[in-house]
Amino acid sequence: MTTPPLYRRILVRVAGAALVLWAAATVTFLALHLVPGDPVLVLLGGGSGANPTPETIAATRHAYGLDQPLYVQYAQHLGRLLTGDLGVSTSLKESVGTVITEQLPSTLQLTALALLFAWAIGAAVVLLSTGKGTVGRALGSGLETVAAGLPHFWLGVVLLYVFAFRLGWFPVAGGTGFVGLILPALTLAVPLAGYLGQVTRVALLTALDQPFVTSARLRGMSAGAVRARRALRHALLPPLTLSGWAVGALFSSEVVVEAVFARQGVGRALLNAVIARDLPLVTGIVLLIATVYVLVNLAVDLLYAVVDPRVRTPREI
Amino acid sequence: MKPPSRLLLALPLLLLATACGTGEATTSVTARPAQGGTLTYATDREPTCLDPHVAGDMPQAYVAQQVLDSLVALDAKGRARPWLATSWDIAKDGRTYTFHLRRDVRFTDGTRFDAAAVKANFDHMVDPDTQSGTAGGYLAPYQRTDVLDAFTARVHLDRPYSPFLNMLAQAFLGIQSPKALARSKEANCAAPVGTGPFIVRKWNRQSDVVLVRNPRYNSPPPYAKHRGPAYADKVIWRFIPEPATRFAAVQSGQVDVIDALPPEDQRTAEHDDRLKVVVRDRPGNPTNLALNTSRAPFDDLRVRKAFLYSADVADGLKSVFFGQYRRAGGPLSYVTPHYSDAHENAWPYDPQKADSLLDRAGWRERDGDGYRVKNGVRLTAEVLLKSDITPNQLALMEQVQATAKDVGFQLKLLRLDAASVNTRYQAGKYDLRDGYWNTNTPDVLHTVFGSEYAARNGIHSNATYAKDPALDKLFRAAQATTDPDEQQRLYGEAQRLISAGAYQLTLYPQTTRLAAHHGSVRGAALEPALSLPYLYDAWVSSR
Repeated sequence: MTTPPLYRRILVRVAGAALVLWAAATVTFLALHLVPGDPVLVLLGGGSGANPTPETIAATRHAYGLDQPLYVQYAQHLGRLLTGDLGVSTSLKESVGTVITEQLPSTLQLTALALLFAWAIGAAVVLLSTGKGTVGRALGSGLETVAAGLPHFWLGVVLLYVFAFRLGWFPVAGGTGFVGLILPALTLAVPLAGYLGQVTRVALLTALDQPFVTSARLRGMSAGAVRARRALRHALLPPLTLSGWAVGALFSSEVVVEAVFARQGVGRALLNAVIARDLPLVTGIVLLIATVYVLVNLAVDLLYAVVDPRVRTPREI
Repeated sequence: MKPPSRLLLALPLLLLATACGTGEATTSVTARPAQGGTLTYATDREPTCLDPHVAGDMPQAYVAQQVLDSLVALDAKGRARPWLATSWDIAKDGRTYTFHLRRDVRFTDGTRFDAAAVKANFDHMVDPDTQSGTAGGYLAPYQRTDVLDAFTARVHLDRPYSPFLNMLAQAFLGIQSPKALARSKEANCAAPVGTGPFIVRKWNRQSDVVLVRNPRYNSPPPYAKHRGPAYADKVIWRFIPEPATRFAAVQSGQVDVIDALPPEDQRTAEHDDRLKVVVRDRPGNPTNLALNTSRAPFDDLRVRKAFLYSADVADGLKSVFFGQYRRAGGPLSYVTPHYSDAHENAWPYDPQKADSLLDRAGWRERDGDGYRVKNGVRLTAEVLLKSDITPNQLALMEQVQATAKDVGFQLKLLRLDAASVNTRYQAGKYDLRDGYWNTNTPDVLHTVFGSEYAARNGIHSNATYAKDPALDKLFRAAQATTDPDEQQRLYGEAQRLISAGAYQLTLYPQTTRLAAHHGSVRGAALEPALSLPYLYDAWVSSR
């Protein structure tokens, strides 16, 4: 059996990534133009009611190229992106690159910690409840279902109320540093832990029925050790796959969490940019998210190979 | 408008108690203003640009009020008083204003404030490339500025325009360094440069704007409580969009002052001895639903009147805003100059009158759902709502919808995103549209009801499409006179015509609502021109 040479596999990957990015840029462009709505008045006064002169309206339209035919705008849009120019945000009057550099660290920290918490909570509940007989299993599974269904907005406000307003353990809003990160990360992690837990549980129970588990037990391994060392490894693939999706889902959930906790972040920036029909900023953030998505899925593919030797590329023995 | 906290005297004791409770290291509450410290302010909406000449939305004016000075200030009665301009002469024809300027003021970038700076500012506001929606719109009559000498500037307008001075007092038209204005739009949006008490140090998008004290400040407005530089060394101007979070932040003392105090928390705030609540209504056209008179059904005056009678606004306000918002009955908020109180109760809730008016207008039959019909058409009105409408405001709309249904109106509430709302709005595709207009002159009536602002296709500030030659004549006459008595008469007559024309269902005045953590900050106030928060006199009293 032969595998394609390394450079071809890389080429296919890169081409795939480029295709994803082009599609993201195009869909974004079309979506923002096909939805009814003129960005100009949004720019010229927002919600307060403004009374710009016709000259001002015309100048604004021209400044953002909105007086050009759609295909010209599209060509210019792609042309700029190809040269790596993300442009200037129309609503924030700041270069898209700067907006992203300002907002991204906060989002990445939150995403990473939320994913870590979700894995830790999910794994703990599953490991603690799979061996505990029907009651324990039902309890664990019930907890997961409830957690998975919790709305972020509600959970965030409840956590804030209990741990920040009442107990005063955490800053109420926008706390900097690690302490300020915990409540928002938990808000994102708990529902996600529910999903991850459900999937892991099913896989773990399947794995526990496998012959190799029986053989491990027969060799005198304790039940906990069997779960943690033998079966869990088999049960990791489904939640790992889910984590690729979860990163994308976290980005969108962060819109709400960033608003509740008054945090910086690309989620909120994206929401505001969409409302303001801010094409450069929406495109910049969508491309960023698409890139993260591509990278995370690549990482998940690589991790498969680490966790499960069966997925490794066959090598000559 | 609110009485001061009743427990002011017991404050030191209470503070000590709360300090123990929260574990905060409180030293003592000094009674006299103290220099120094950092003041944290939290508001709901973030500006899109800190230069208020660009675009022109309320959050921009809020920040500009701390950073920029204006040519003139308003006193509590709405009269223009000297600020950066020491005096002015208005030519007999009302079209030429000559400003004599202070000679001892510098912008915080070192540039001298002079007549050339005034000219650069006006030219910047009206330049289409500035993309000014508010300041540029207010300056529509502007022609040019002549620099007569270093400290005398003469402004030429194309028509008599007596609201000019009032508008100059608004932070939207604040004066900026001409050297700074010459930078790129991005640079000036990020850090405008004025002569004001604070300097923009850094804008951390979606988090805060850091302001530092201007140590050489020497040009406070006449309504300021002290002279010289501001008290606080630094102001962190934070954005906390979620109302519950914002209120909890000030309650816990993590933030010193908040605005947009949620109405549901106002009672709690007033009973919380650590908090001081400052509420003041804003001048202008109150929050309202504009009736589109350019299409059926509201092209019929009887149907408009019936709709106004059908709405139980007072009851809605009581249940939705917990009694914190008063009803605004006339086209002007009661704090606007030349406001007339004759129309506050012109449109009470009166379903019988509404029913009989609709009967007379030919909407006699009712369909199976209880809505009125005429020639097979249901009596329907589409309500175009702003996308950022709060849950409370939406609940009020639902109450209006419910009482309108009782008399046979079907109200369809349309919640769309901002750009879609604007598209429908520009095309005139709506029957009712929620809106308000904050400004410090009765000339707001001209902006909101003048026929020249009722373009059928395009951006228009006249949401009702009112086109009444009698009104237009009154506006022109009022703009042409600087005699307060004559203005009072003319704007009074305009208010009467507008109220009688049933153009708007007015709801409640726009308000600025502050809650200050009294243990940590004193002196946070509202300025008189637009009731904007004003931190020049505020001081950090403990930490």
